Amino acid sequence: MRALLFCACLASLALVSGAARAEPTSAAERAARRLFDGAPPAIPHDSAVGACVSCHSMAGREIPSMGYAPASPHARTAGIAAVPCKQCHVEKRTDEVFVGSTFRGIEQDLRSGKRANPLAPPVIPHMVFMRENCAACHTGPAARSEIRTSHPERANCRQCHVERVTTGVFAPSRETSAQGR
Amino acid sequence: MKRREFLQSLALAAAGVAAHSPADRAAAEGMRDAAQIDPSDLTWGKAPCRFCGTGCGVEVGTRDGRVAAVRGDRKSPVNRGLLCVKGYHLPGFLYGEDRLTKPMLRLADGSFEAISWDAALDMIAERYAKVLETDGPDAVAMYGSGQWTVHDGYAALKWVKAGMRSNNLEANARLCMASAVMGFMTQFQSDEPMGCYEDFEAGDDFFLWGNNMAEMHPVLFSRILETKRQRGDVRIVDIATRRTPTSDYADLYVEIRPGTDLALANGILQQILAKGWVAESFVRENVVFQRGNEDLEEIGWGCYGAQKDRYTFADSGRDSSIEELGKFLADYTPDKVATLCGIPSAQVETLAEMYGASNRGTVSLWCMGVNQHTRGTWMNNLLNDIHLLTGKIGRPGANPLSLTGQPSACGTVREVGTLSNRLPSDRLVTKDEHRTTAEQIWGLEPGTLPAKPGYHTVDMFRALSRGDIKAIWIQTTNPWVSLPNLNRFERSPGDGRFIVVSDIYPTPTTQVADLVLPSSAWVEREGVFGNTERRTQQWNKLADPPGEAREDAWQIIEVARRMGMGHLFPWGEDEWHEAMYEEYRRFSLGTGKDVASYAQLKETRGMRWPVVDGKETAYRYAAGRDPYVTKSKGVHFYKAKKYGEKAAFWLRPYQPPAEVPDDEFPLWLTTGRVLEHWHTGSMTRRVRQLYQAVPKAYVELNRSDAIDLEVGTGDRVRIVSRRGALEATVEVDGRGKPPRGTVFMPFFDESILVNQLTLDAMDNISKEPDYKKCAVRVERVARG
Repeated sequence: MRALLFCACLASLALVSGAARAEPTSAAERAARRLFDGAPPAIPHDSAVGACVSCHSMAGREIPSMGYAPASPHARTAGIAAVPCKQCHVEKRTDEVFVGSTFRGIEQDLRSGKRANPLAPPVIPHMVFMRENCAACHTGPAARSEIRTSHPERANCRQCHVERVTTGVFAPSRETSAQGR
Repeated sequence: MKRREFLQSLALAAAGVAAHSPADRAAAEGMRDAAQIDPSDLTWGKAPCRFCGTGCGVEVGTRDGRVAAVRGDRKSPVNRGLLCVKGYHLPGFLYGEDRLTKPMLRLADGSFEAISWDAALDMIAERYAKVLETDGPDAVAMYGSGQWTVHDGYAALKWVKAGMRSNNLEANARLCMASAVMGFMTQFQSDEPMGCYEDFEAGDDFFLWGNNMAEMHPVLFSRILETKRQRGDVRIVDIATRRTPTSDYADLYVEIRPGTDLALANGILQQILAKGWVAESFVRENVVFQRGNEDLEEIGWGCYGAQKDRYTFADSGRDSSIEELGKFLADYTPDKVATLCGIPSAQVETLAEMYGASNRGTVSLWCMGVNQHTRGTWMNNLLNDIHLLTGKIGRPGANPLSLTGQPSACGTVREVGTLSNRLPSDRLVTKDEHRTTAEQIWGLEPGTLPAKPGYHTVDMFRALSRGDIKAIWIQTTNPWVSLPNLNRFERSPGDGRFIVVSDIYPTPTTQVADLVLPSSAWVEREGVFGNTERRTQQWNKLADPPGEAREDAWQIIEVARRMGMGHLFPWGEDEWHEAMYEEYRRFSLGTGKDVASYAQLKETRGMRWPVVDGKETAYRYAAGRDPYVTKSKGVHFYKAKKYGEKAAFWLRPYQPPAEVPDDEFPLWLTTGRVLEHWHTGSMTRRVRQLYQAVPKAYVELNRSDAIDLEVGTGDRVRIVSRRGALEATVEVDGRGKPPRGTVFMPFFDESILVNQLTLDAMDNISKEPDYKKCAVRVERVARG
């Protein structure tokens, strides 16, 4: 019990010190960096400062004078691990636009993590592909409160949370249904 | 109570009873909200990406007839779910506020007035009919692009060649891929590569020639990087005239002087021969030797003296031999090549050793540096030659693989044949039997298709300036940004020409038009593209076009009908896409370029031709893989009838570029693209994220040149060539680092037209312009 309390104190200390230096990203900020939910966000700082992964490591890092560099959500999975960051993420260098746009993209829907019942773990409402490192968005000082996990210590997220890949429901084969009747 | 209702009531009861903590209450509310709003209210469909020639598969999510999201298609064997920054931002390019939505006619005072489709189509039909009547079929023209769908290109081909009996049909792939076409044609008598993207996993050594793959073909480049990460023993060699993001990933960066790639390739051949790395039995069985016209006086560069207005040089070949090759290569010893290229001679030997290693799979990849070259076909020949001499061709991981920059440069321009000398599936207008096949499929009187090739692109626009062409219709491209030596194509008011432009946004090209037509784009219509690796990909209409925008093929068909050529398009108003494609497909069947059926394309993520018995072909000419090969093992170049079904190895010398730096213009200018923008930027600049990443064109200077000029990043300079001048902002040590004596500018920016500086020198065989080499000087303007 004592050990547990000690851990909790440490955790709250870490949270407080983190919050003092880095604010969670707001929904508006997050949306402004993307064309639509699912599109890669633009780089909000000078991108010539060094190798991206030196700050955006798999754990994220506090960078003095710049704030918190969130971890990369892209886990090193086979097939895509060697992709250069700047193939998809480009630096925003101006606020100007060339021509206005009438585009309306899909927005992030924070309410979509469906649960089988209120105590069941919600399913993952987004594609896991290219977002394999759950901790990048769901933990850390930059994580938004809406999606911050209450249990970052449980390392294997997908033991309980599964990706929804279809909106369909199970349809038994004709043979199985016949047996049921 | 049914089981499901019971579970629901249980859940609700649990929510009521057990919601004793704020977190649980929030969760219960979350569950109710989730029941009301489903984020998967988008309808998803498949399409190939609209931008480069890689042909990545994307899933397109639409809502209320508009595209709201895209994601990489994990079922696509091309990209396996990954995209580049342009691909992820695809939806944005459709919705710029200034989309063209109505046909617009230019009035006498220069302004535009909206008119009806009927009036616009009638006007085109009348004007073209009048020019045909008074000046004949040589005075009409159509100019499209590698962004035309197969349907657009086939409609254009039929209208121009079968309808108006003119061969003045060109496409901007002439500015882009023509040298690769002529390379494959002169050696294998069939266009397009034998290899495919599986070479990226199967290969050991990847040679990039004049090709900034990390920015131009990022998804393919990341396949190579992933292979390197997994296998470790993979090597990347970057041979270039400017350091780019690609160079950062290379094991060996070889920086050569502009135009000396010809010497380097010959130097590699010399070493392969001298060191005994020739695959002798392969060469004996599969290769013949040819030598062409090397008379520099006669060849010229297509832009000086008598060639200034028309460039019609034709190459001729004679039989040669490996013995003659040995003597020919005496001029290309490592020392001589090293001096010409400006590299250590040891580098020449290293490259040759890598190519010569028989236990390594070698893939050569190239793009605009090799193709946009006054000896681009020669350079293509030399790269194919290296693979022929070492026998590294037609098997997994060992191939010459030319990359393409437009989504259907292969599928439409090269396969349908929307060029002034071509007909579908490798056929030429100059060959009687090829015209006869076309006349049969199209139901024309025998002997009525014209046999004389029309103008190639640069000569077409020169003829338009002269007035020899009186009517031209331009679709899906922006020549008043992309043509070389732009100033010579400036239009004077009241010149009597009739220029129609179909596009989706206003551009410098619509600015010179008499009539502007609004086109539907990408998934706003049904279509087919063909990518670099011979993969034909189909998509359905997934979104609504804005206003009155209509697809390019429809526009052509409606004009043809009004000119009395409706019999060429005998399909109904709806559901004509499959019927038209199946007619086109008849050209391909039995030729070794058999494209897949429309029904099969609808079901798959593309099929690589030749498709025989419903099965695609990954490797052409390879025994056991290509159904046309009759040999039991090895390769069989069955298309090259002229050379006894063997491939032709061409001896090609080094010749200098058309313009080289001197005292007055001491710097090389080379032009190109950046990752974020595609071609002339008319689509990508309208996407906020892409524009904000690279808003304007700039000029890259070497640090030493910048110090000499006393300028730095952000300063304004004036860049002057013999043809024009413009101002741009300097960038030093940015993403691209040219060597001392070279400057680089991208061409995407319509407000900084770098093609006002470039020279309209061309390849002697393909007639593709050289955008990579001309001479300029740079002057300081003011501190930024």
